[in-house]
Amino acid sequence: MNIFGSGVFQGMMVTLKNFLTSYFRKPDEGGIFTVQYPEEREKAIENFRNFPFLVYDGSPEQIRCVACGICERECPPKCIHIEMALDVVGKPARKPTVFDIDYGLCMNCGICEEVCPFDSIFMDHAFEVTAPERQISLVRPKKALLKSNEYFQKIRPTLAAVIDQKRKTAEEKKKAAIQPPATSESK
Amino acid sequence: MAAKFGTYAVMAVILIFALGVVTLRNIFHCALCLAAALIGTAVLYVAFRAEYLAAIQILLYVGAVVTLIIFAIMLTEHLAGKTVRQNNSQSPLAIAGLLGFVALLTVVILKTPWPVTQTALKAKVSVMALGEALMGTYVFPFEVISIILIAALIGTVVIAKKDAPEERL
Amino acid sequence: MTKILEFIDSIFVAAKAWILCLLGHFLPAWIVVLVSITISGVVILCLGPVIMMYLTLLERKLIGRIQNRYGPNRVGIWGLLQPIADGIKMFTKEDIVPANADKVIHLLAPIAIVVPALMIFLVVPFGKGMTTVNLNIGLLYFIAVSSITILPIFMGSWASRNKYSLLGGMRTAAQMISYEIPMTLAVVPAIMMSQSLATNAIVLAQAGGHGLNWFIFTPWGIVGFIIFFLCATAECNRPPFDLPEAESELVAGFHTEYSGMKFALFYMAEYMNAFTLCGIAATLFLGGWQGPFLPSWLWFFGKTFILICVMIWFRGTFPRFRVDHLMAFAWKFLLPLTLINILLTALWQFTSNLAAWCGSILVLGISLWTLVKLNRTFVPEKRHYPLES
Repeated sequence: MNIFGSGVFQGMMVTLKNFLTSYFRKPDEGGIFTVQYPEEREKAIENFRNFPFLVYDGSPEQIRCVACGICERECPPKCIHIEMALDVVGKPARKPTVFDIDYGLCMNCGICEEVCPFDSIFMDHAFEVTAPERQISLVRPKKALLKSNEYFQKIRPTLAAVIDQKRKTAEEKKKAAIQPPATSESK
Repeated sequence: MAAKFGTYAVMAVILIFALGVVTLRNIFHCALCLAAALIGTAVLYVAFRAEYLAAIQILLYVGAVVTLIIFAIMLTEHLAGKTVRQNNSQSPLAIAGLLGFVALLTVVILKTPWPVTQTALKAKVSVMALGEALMGTYVFPFEVISIILIAALIGTVVIAKKDAPEERL
Repeated sequence: MTKILEFIDSIFVAAKAWILCLLGHFLPAWIVVLVSITISGVVILCLGPVIMMYLTLLERKLIGRIQNRYGPNRVGIWGLLQPIADGIKMFTKEDIVPANADKVIHLLAPIAIVVPALMIFLVVPFGKGMTTVNLNIGLLYFIAVSSITILPIFMGSWASRNKYSLLGGMRTAAQMISYEIPMTLAVVPAIMMSQSLATNAIVLAQAGGHGLNWFIFTPWGIVGFIIFFLCATAECNRPPFDLPEAESELVAGFHTEYSGMKFALFYMAEYMNAFTLCGIAATLFLGGWQGPFLPSWLWFFGKTFILICVMIWFRGTFPRFRVDHLMAFAWKFLLPLTLINILLTALWQFTSNLAAWCGSILVLGISLWTLVKLNRTFVPEKRHYPLES
């Protein structure tokens, strides 16, 4: 029935329904879908990338990075600064002493993750990086970038699983490569 | 005593605003002074215990007549910021004539025996009595006024209507 | 139990009488009168802005819920301190006056618009015996004072020397004048049936019958209430009648050039107007402060609150009226309807209940059908282009 004023009434019923259901419907079914930051957070999807981090296996001394400098060369805004550690004798040890990434320059492209041959640098999900000034405190040192492999598995399970599988097979192949020559030698 | 002083003060304020209407340079300011003078008149009506008349004064004069005047000012172009000179070289003569007229009027008003009796002073006119009078004793003028209003409305519409468009060839 | 209820009912009246009695012991009579006026004035001056502040919060929360989001809920629990934060913000903003503006009138406009908004509070009956000034021309006073509101809008728009302000001001003034007439005429039946202009007398005329004597339960009452409510929404420049201050069209219309406290005063006047008009609508048609059990002022605030929620509901639901639709609605639809409403009231007065209802429904049906047919919008005919087959 198209009586005069029926559209007005229908419109008001729609808003009333919206008002009442906003109190008890879940976000997916037409309720309020606001995520009240900072008390609630949205779960990040796995491939979200924000800022790089360095992976260590077990303890922070067993860092995977060997300070090859490929990510430093490939980084488009040149925000990475690496210095290799020196041995007790003065020879280069395959570990970085200084690994600085400037948060102000980093554009979150993920190229450092793609080019690393040692699976040591990956893109983190953490975006709440703040500093009172940008010259000194926004340059994140190695200490701030080190995160454990367990953390890596938590935030990016599928990629971490693939990387772990790859490293395990590489380990086993290396062990198998060492063993048979030993057995063949012991013959 | 205080009431008398208050009434004279309100009258003085009305006179000041009325002077403002005819002497100010900005025409919008003049319209606003007119509104203030009319509100002052309504205050006077309240002081004389004619509250109904005061409310009608505000409703009609300030709410409608002044609005109409302001619409007329706003619809005229380029009046914003323009100053209008409200007097010319003959003003001293005009003021002299005006003062003479005011003196004459004062003498006439003071000498007329107005029919102000005690019963008239003590009368409390209620709205119901006004309504009964309007619909009873004074119904003929009431209807004539409404006919005049309708004539004015129809005349306005006729004058403001655009002419019919010409026939297309 | 009833004694407790009666005490709570008349608590404010009793408090004021107690203070005046206390002062009357050692002060002359005229000071007591002055103190009485001052107390009433101070209460209204405190009540008005506080009501306005929490009305803004209520509106934002309700609109948020209608639009599937939370309203403000950061400042204090449920956002209850949000109006205070807004007030602090308004106070500390820079007061910008355009270089070309008329400084005196630019300053006076927001001041002059709050005055009528506050003056209407004087005749609103907040409870039993709680009308601030029991004028015997209360309703006429309300109509007269609300017609003064148009002048400061003109002042504000003219003093800004801004094309958008001028356009907005003209449209606002035209809208407010147009909707005043159906508002006044919609109130006339209530005056006719209660034989008085005083708001308290109109409330008392709806007494008895367990609420069935309220004017809204009569044919002329329903029509009158709807017309009055629509005109009240238009008088406050609230959506859907908010073309004058449409942000997307006129850059806030007549209050474009106002910032900080002056804008807050315009805002305050709009919300106080909304509150008082809802209050008057509740008084005239919904029985004012009458109701069982609860104290009278609670009933009044409850009814006004429901009406304000309906106004906010309108805001969340409807798109804006176009300006020619706005004017056509007032002049060509509402005005004839109010005149027919007065006729219906006369019918109600002179015939009995059932016959009056049937006659009223018949008359209303015919007149609504006629008005709708006469107000059909112009639909141009579909053009035909040669290549279409």
